[in-house]
Amino acid sequence: MAHNFPSADWTAAYKDAVNGNAAYREAGKTWLHGAVAFVVEADPSLGLEKDSALILDVHGGECRATHWVERAVAEADAPFVIVGKYARWKDVITGKEDPIKSMMQNKLRLVKGHLPTIIRYVESSRQLVKSAADVDSHWLA
Amino acid sequence: MPVVIELAPGASENGLVTMLADLLRQNLDDHPHKRADFEKLDGRVAIVAEDAGVALTLEFQRGKLVLHAGIVGIPDVTVRAPSDDVMAMSLVELTPKRALPDPRGEVMKKVWEGMRSGRIQVYGALFHAPLMFRLTRVMSVN
Repeated sequence: MAHNFPSADWTAAYKDAVNGNAAYREAGKTWLHGAVAFVVEADPSLGLEKDSALILDVHGGECRATHWVERAVAEADAPFVIVGKYARWKDVITGKEDPIKSMMQNKLRLVKGHLPTIIRYVESSRQLVKSAADVDSHWLA
Repeated sequence: MPVVIELAPGASENGLVTMLADLLRQNLDDHPHKRADFEKLDGRVAIVAEDAGVALTLEFQRGKLVLHAGIVGIPDVTVRAPSDDVMAMSLVELTPKRALPDPRGEVMKKVWEGMRSGRIQVYGALFHAPLMFRLTRVMSVN
């Protein structure tokens, strides 16, 4: 069954997708730096009245939990926070855009977190995003 | 003395600029010994991430860095590469003793291969070798 992106259901399915990705388990096995949050900016034209966020509690190549929360909660709780508009996340998740290239183009922005750590784990970040493509998604636009 | 890293007016809209500014700030905080290299850097380096259509200029002024969006002024060194290779440059392995790029490192091998194949193009490095070595040390997260 397709899940609306973003939603609590989609976020729960994302956990399974991450844990089903063997390449992520390998690339992220030394990641011990805390949770990563993806913030989807509000877009009233799509019915997204406020910024929302997916928090991925990733540790040692495993996704221990996911949470769908408000942006402020993500910024308070997650050591790494990446922000983007709905259309940008859709492009990245569906593989139309590369996440690193999108950051260079300012389409996605790391607003919290230690960039040298992210750079050391570029492949791990890519695999997290690739896992999202495995979630059966229903797009709002 | 704190390092001075500034963005030129309007440069904050360029993602590559903000990424490199954050990377250099955090890297210098994590590795204070790299500040000696930072304080000696003098010159302009342009970096073009060709597949992303994004460019920046690093204007080093001996202890101060101004990052510009696009190519500003006449660069001493220009690097043109795909975005993956631009990121890889900050992962270059350094030799333990002299902190020079380690030709045995996996990332360094990839960079050399990219330069040989023409995927990575570097203009002006031969005439500005000290600038490039210092920049590599300051940018490397290793």
